[in-house]
Amino acid sequence: MKVLMICTEKLPVPAIKGGAIQTYISGVLPHLSSHHEITVLGIEDPSLKNEEMSGGVRYVRIPGKRFELYKNGVVNFLENHENSFDIIHIFNRPRLVLPVRSASGNARIILSMHNDMFNPEKIPYEEAVRVVSEVERIVTVSNYVGNVIKSLYPQAAPKLKTIYSGVDTDRFLPGSHKNMERFRNKIRKKYGLENKTVILYAGRLSHNKGADRLIRALPLLAKKYDDLALVVIGSNWFSENHLTDFVAYIRALAKRQPVPVITTGFIHPDEIHQWFAAADLFVCTSVWQEPLARVHYEAMAAGLPIVTTARGGNPEVIMEGKNGLVVKEPEDPANFAEAISKLLDHKETMKKMGETNRQLAVSCYKWERVAADILSVWHNHPMNVKSNTAATIPRFSASAKAPEQPVHIPPPSSGTPGARKGQSDSGNQPQ
Amino acid sequence: MKTLEIMPWMTEETNETTEADKLHVPEYIQFIALAVLKQYDFSVRCMDVAATKPKKGGAIWKIETSEGPKSLKLLHRRPPRSIFSLGAQEYLCQQKARVPAIVKTNTGEKCVLAGGKIWFVAEWIESLTPAPKDLDGAKKLCYGLGEFHRLSKGYRPPSNAESASRVGNWEKKYRKILLKMDWFRHIAQAYHDLPASESMLRAVEYFEKQAQKALERLQNSKYRELARYGDLHWGLAHQDYGWSNGQLGKGSVWIIDLDGVAYDLPIRDLRKFISGMMIDAGHWDPETLRELIKAYHEANPLSKELYDLLLIDLSLPDEFYKNVKDVVYDPESFLNEETAEMLEEMIRTDASKWPALEEIANDWKDVKKKK
Repeated sequence: MKVLMICTEKLPVPAIKGGAIQTYISGVLPHLSSHHEITVLGIEDPSLKNEEMSGGVRYVRIPGKRFELYKNGVVNFLENHENSFDIIHIFNRPRLVLPVRSASGNARIILSMHNDMFNPEKIPYEEAVRVVSEVERIVTVSNYVGNVIKSLYPQAAPKLKTIYSGVDTDRFLPGSHKNMERFRNKIRKKYGLENKTVILYAGRLSHNKGADRLIRALPLLAKKYDDLALVVIGSNWFSENHLTDFVAYIRALAKRQPVPVITTGFIHPDEIHQWFAAADLFVCTSVWQEPLARVHYEAMAAGLPIVTTARGGNPEVIMEGKNGLVVKEPEDPANFAEAISKLLDHKETMKKMGETNRQLAVSCYKWERVAADILSVWHNHPMNVKSNTAATIPRFSASAKAPEQPVHIPPPSSGTPGARKGQSDSGNQPQ
Repeated sequence: MKTLEIMPWMTEETNETTEADKLHVPEYIQFIALAVLKQYDFSVRCMDVAATKPKKGGAIWKIETSEGPKSLKLLHRRPPRSIFSLGAQEYLCQQKARVPAIVKTNTGEKCVLAGGKIWFVAEWIESLTPAPKDLDGAKKLCYGLGEFHRLSKGYRPPSNAESASRVGNWEKKYRKILLKMDWFRHIAQAYHDLPASESMLRAVEYFEKQAQKALERLQNSKYRELARYGDLHWGLAHQDYGWSNGQLGKGSVWIIDLDGVAYDLPIRDLRKFISGMMIDAGHWDPETLRELIKAYHEANPLSKELYDLLLIDLSLPDEFYKNVKDVVYDPESFLNEETAEMLEEMIRTDASKWPALEEIANDWKDVKKKK
């Protein structure tokens, strides 16, 4: 089939400037392009050609940054490529759906949702209703994202399908792996982290992401442990390093901690895995209803135990006590101190969690699996499908609300992630 | 010139600047300025930097031209955002508001895009003088502000502009202040050994409650209903109005430096002007409050709902917030003796605020009658 994938107007693909959506698309493309003829339409960037064939994928890059400008470019592109595509897969821009529909004839439209772009302040109600009716499927990165859409637009329910994101498990590897040892040692030496237990935060530096809570938890932790260090990687916004009020705030706090705090600023996506390999445990501190931060998969692949928050989709990939811990009330730094202490006090469990995470990443969260799920959506034309069969979401946590249930942890698999029986694709209610 | 991107020439962390620094503009930007001026029909006799925003990357020159004195401005904002403001300035001119007229380029454009930023030329109003810093001067400025708001209603930005609106953002702004109070507290705790740390903690304790109360009042007010009337109904607020951007000239008050204008409930400007003046005076005086609000009301009548909202906005400790928000950048130098004194002074001044607001709480009928 001929497939057009339409990216957002914010960041370029490949993900040279980072970005979860861009990383997702870059991750699955090699596995999709062997099956179909794919064109990726995205925004231009000074370091990328406006048109190229690369890795069997055709890239077309047009001006972006501003939505209106980008939308016009997308429409213009489609008008010049009438009836050229069987499927148009739009990423995270429901507002592109209607313009794309009117410019693209009868192509099947699939929409992938990575966050809250269906919320009322992002799209007018009437338009959203038409978008829902116009698209064939709505793929979401977590049950949480799907459930929010369903609560706003119940008619979307049968079209929803969760496809969890993935990670390059050959690049993100535990620090003990032979490919990683030198990175781990180099970073730890350079930043004075030898003999330290390194807590890692990776993400944008904004109030929502809550890195300040982790820094404020340090005085409590320092009372119990004398070998800690915190590494904060990330900047105010993808690929930028502006000193915002929040960044200044956490740097000011960091300076006065009893524990060394390394703030690295923006780290190029090509180097992030080295930092994961240098760490001993990973903490996600989000205080907002986050769709599901992809750093969880990266931490898993790096074999790190995870502390995350009960916000949005984040707990969906955590089995309490098995591969990490979930902080129920992330507003209070003491809760992070408590969760981290639980890990540090039980080094054996902590180690096991890291191993479990690596197994999980390999068995459930490789890009091959994500691509296979996307292919199943592309191949399962609703005309051929009796009910909402689905798919193969390899998950081991049934729902965010019930993380305590006994769970089967799938064994690492080397083959194509395929149908795993008995799992609906979106938590308690099939969507 | 194509590849040159204009960048700020000072960082947020830079503290002290000399007088000479204030009028310094990097050479490459001066070079771009000359290229920009080539696109106008007048010839330039001399140009002097009049003001800069080095941390943001903006500048104003006064230029003497064959067509008289004019200003050349380099706007630091994103170009589509600047285009919004320029459209507003042109619209206000058409509405006969006293704002400097924009001078078109030799191809009839309002502005020039160079170095990735918007540049434009406007008339320099020679006769402008600051309003006297007394009640009479302040009343004139309030009246002028009301005119500006009234005449800005109905502005529609050009299609290539990025629309800027704060009409629906009031709760968010209140929440932000409340959130940052928490930051200030944690900074003061982490830097507890500095001269102003104690005062900061005390001030946060004192003003945080006010911010909380103000947010509750806002949520229980008619604000959301008012916001629903939309951008075109309310028109523009200047967002940086005061004794330097409102000045006396031919006719009456002229309003300059419009690059930050955004759709908003108009009383935002009025509230900032009033509270700034009270803080400067070190005392909240109910009679002055009344006079200023009346002067504004004569030019742009306030509804009961807007008046109530004005009182809520006055109850927000925004002046405190504005004065301490930079603490996050360099707590060690910020939390000094001088800041300690400033904070104590703010708390002292604040004591007179509440009886004054109480006294004018039910004034709205009177305001209307006098009109």
